[in-house]
Amino acid sequence: MEWNLVLPELIVTGTGLGVLLLDLFLTGGGRRAAGYTGLAGLAAALVAALRLMPAAGRGELAGPFWQGMVVGDQFAVLFKVLFLAVGLVVLMLAVDFVERRRMPAGEFTALILFAVLGMMLMAGSRDLIVIYLGLETTAVASYVLAGLLRDDVRSGEAAIKYFLTGALASAVILFGMSLVFGGLGSTGLPNASALAEALAGAGPSAAPAVPSPLLLAVGLVLLVAGFGFKVALVPFHFWAPDAYEGAPTPVTAFFSVGPKAAAFAAILRVFAPFLVMVPVSGVEGKALALLPSIFAVLAVLTMTVGNLVALVQRNIKRMLAYSSIAHAGYILVGLAVATPRGLAAVTYYLLAYAAMNLGAFAVVIWLNNHGTGDEVDDYVGLSQRAPLAAAALVVAFISLIGIPPTAGFFGKFYLFMAAVEANMAWLAVLMVVNTAISVGYYYAVVRNMYLQPAAEPGARAAGPVPATPLVGTALSVTLVAVLALGLLFEPLARLAGLACGGL
Amino acid sequence: MSGFPYLTLMTFVPLAGTILILLLPRDRVETIKRVAALFSLVPLVLAFAVWAQWDQALPRAYGMVLLEHAEWIPSLGISYTMGTDGLSFPLVFLTALLTFLAVVASWHMISHRQKDFFALLLLLETGMMGVFLALDYVVFYVFWELVLVPMYFLIGIWGGPRREYAAIKFFIYTLVGSVVMLVGILALYFGTGAETFNMMEIAAAAESRIPARTQLWIFLALYLGFAVKVPVFPFHTWLPDAHVEAPTPISVVLAAILLKMGTYGFLRISYPTLPDAAKHFVVMFAALGLVNIIYGALTAMAQKDLKKLVAYSSISHMGFVLLGLAAGTPLAIAGAMYMNISHGLISGMLFLMVGAIYDRTHTREIPALRGLYVTVPVIATVLAFTAFANLGLPGLAGFIAEFFVLAGTFPVSVTWVAMAVVGMLVVAGFNLWMMQRILMGEPKQEYAGLPDARPIELFTYVPVVALILVLGVAPGVLMRFLNGPALEIVQRLGGM
Repeated sequence: MEWNLVLPELIVTGTGLGVLLLDLFLTGGGRRAAGYTGLAGLAAALVAALRLMPAAGRGELAGPFWQGMVVGDQFAVLFKVLFLAVGLVVLMLAVDFVERRRMPAGEFTALILFAVLGMMLMAGSRDLIVIYLGLETTAVASYVLAGLLRDDVRSGEAAIKYFLTGALASAVILFGMSLVFGGLGSTGLPNASALAEALAGAGPSAAPAVPSPLLLAVGLVLLVAGFGFKVALVPFHFWAPDAYEGAPTPVTAFFSVGPKAAAFAAILRVFAPFLVMVPVSGVEGKALALLPSIFAVLAVLTMTVGNLVALVQRNIKRMLAYSSIAHAGYILVGLAVATPRGLAAVTYYLLAYAAMNLGAFAVVIWLNNHGTGDEVDDYVGLSQRAPLAAAALVVAFISLIGIPPTAGFFGKFYLFMAAVEANMAWLAVLMVVNTAISVGYYYAVVRNMYLQPAAEPGARAAGPVPATPLVGTALSVTLVAVLALGLLFEPLARLAGLACGGL
Repeated sequence: MSGFPYLTLMTFVPLAGTILILLLPRDRVETIKRVAALFSLVPLVLAFAVWAQWDQALPRAYGMVLLEHAEWIPSLGISYTMGTDGLSFPLVFLTALLTFLAVVASWHMISHRQKDFFALLLLLETGMMGVFLALDYVVFYVFWELVLVPMYFLIGIWGGPRREYAAIKFFIYTLVGSVVMLVGILALYFGTGAETFNMMEIAAAAESRIPARTQLWIFLALYLGFAVKVPVFPFHTWLPDAHVEAPTPISVVLAAILLKMGTYGFLRISYPTLPDAAKHFVVMFAALGLVNIIYGALTAMAQKDLKKLVAYSSISHMGFVLLGLAAGTPLAIAGAMYMNISHGLISGMLFLMVGAIYDRTHTREIPALRGLYVTVPVIATVLAFTAFANLGLPGLAGFIAEFFVLAGTFPVSVTWVAMAVVGMLVVAGFNLWMMQRILMGEPKQEYAGLPDARPIELFTYVPVVALILVLGVAPGVLMRFLNGPALEIVQRLGGM
């Protein structure tokens, strides 16, 4: 059973190593084979993960396996499926890009695979050590990925900035984890019910009492800061725009959904028990009860700053970087309300966000492959030149704004619902204000595409912009997901609720 | 509950048309136009079919006709529930009729990117139909927002010189209003604890289960969403921009149907669900309604642009709907509903006329137009007819609506009636003055020999003119729909 459980990880690891070996024998146009191998590996791993779904749903894989290092609960399997799907889409988007920009195909593919592996480890464990190992695996692969455009100075700048802040964040996380270990007396994370019993001091179960709740609280606050760096919450966000702008575009697409979703999965895993537990008395209890307020403050700061600064961006990758900061702010609302519905809303939003953000990036990559620049002004007259790409970008943006019937709407709707239910309607209202602000920068692109005539007649004469099969497939998959996630809200929200119920 | 899915078809046949048009090649313009006409004709035919059987064996439940129900998100109590009654059906009919006419009117008027235009126009129809037919808050909201996107592009791509500004202003105003409304809807959901988004069930539970103070806040949140659409002063500033910049067929749809989404929201949601809060805000409703009437009329009087004049005249007329709601008597409420329909027909018609004149003279400046009676007699006559309907000439639809509202308001407050009458005088004034300036006088040399109404234009005028006339002399045609819902709302208010 245990081996079945880590089969997706094993497949991904094996494929990654295989690609590195294979790369030694590939030359010229044959380098694409590295990408195809990676795609096959991810697809196989995705099938393996999907096959775990039913058993995970029945709670048969909850473990703990290997002293709790690996769990196969619904939460873990759901996020593994998401990460593998994200990896698959990103790799599909990247194959042409990598070839055209003469990036090392083998290394690129292997690094994406290792990053996905790290993400799966983060979601699939209840142990702080394993979560940290996953985090670092992803992070190290990401630093290199950011710098893979070796002839581009900005790519190097992105890599070094990402590396420095990432290393700092890792240090803070590690320190926080050591304090949490001191507080809990174990690197294993309790689930909500075990934690409540432990904090109450005398549970009927064999759960150990918490030696020092105060140490725990301080450690958790450090973890908020450390993970805050990783998911680019304001005020820990300053590295993100530079890294996103400088990195190769498929890598930017990957950063904005993959490692970010994984870090949120880790946040959910670590913090959920503390958020939904019954309140405890005393100073320690008060300290722990502050957590939702911290998340609320960070949510407001993050979405507001992200949206306001996005307004003045002229580069579409930078704009999407700030937009993804803002979306992290929306997601935090689900943690701030600290209810089971809030956590489920976070999970659903991560699914929706992955689909719509990858959809937007798919269009950017598609156009970039045909020589369209990444400035917002390069999109002038696009609806005439590339009507399909323009329409696809509009659908992705409509979803990012949160207009029905797209996944983005249902994600926000669920978060709203959680906030109003928890008597935090003010947070929902601030989200409303932010949604209105966000229209501004998405609109700037739509205006350029639809309402401005093409600046130079030459651009129109450039003719149609055909999508390659891989990019076309990736884009179609994300757009279908953007529409389907909304119509399939019921089963997905149920799944998200189930997944978070076991935290 | 089963049976022929009239309502679903009316809502989604236009969407099917959108998809079909998107699949057609860009240069097959004639085919695209025919598809658009066909797919917007279907809802109209279906609406006629429902009208013809209204009193007969249509399936009824919850006081609703043709109820359709399917589970969508049962864990949150969200279901696809569609139904119609005397309140919504006239609006549905209006939507079907005017969208079809807008498609026909666009036939020659839209000269570039026809494929995108007709696809968006049909998508818009799906959204509008859905708003009037949905009986589940979430489905309602989905359709409500669905209207926004096509409208933005329709104004932004095919509009006048300031189209960009007008389109984004419309978009942001309505988006903010409707998202605040969504917070109100969620507050209703959790406040009632009924675990359902069904409008009727929430309406039945809201009053007893939500604390009175909270009800006021929820009412205001919903109010913001609806008031932006109506638009109620001071949320009205998007309207003149959007109406003036939009291409003629879209101005028609905006004035005739989109504004009614706001007043429909008051009538379908705010009043029946939170009657106590509605009574609490009666004075606000009346005051803002009167401001709308008088301010709209005075501003219309000052306009030199014919289209702006019509736009402000809309603001004035929507004030009567608000006044009728504030009065809260059966006659006044029925009058408000009547005004919804009559204003839809009259303002839609006025925009068509403005478009026809602009098409020929390439100006909308009132001082630049003169003597149209001589140059284009048919168009001028229809314009005069519509302007008289607009100023409330007895025998035409507008009069009946205003009369019902004022007669219904009289027992409540003579002052309100007196102030509204002042507004009516100004309305009469600017309509007459406009006619005098553009229809009469010595015709301008350069306008000699302009073509009069083409057959296809007459085809769009005749049904609307006929309806304005019928609703003016035989109010019973419409009142048979409105009486029941008006009485029900008054009963919810606990009056009369």
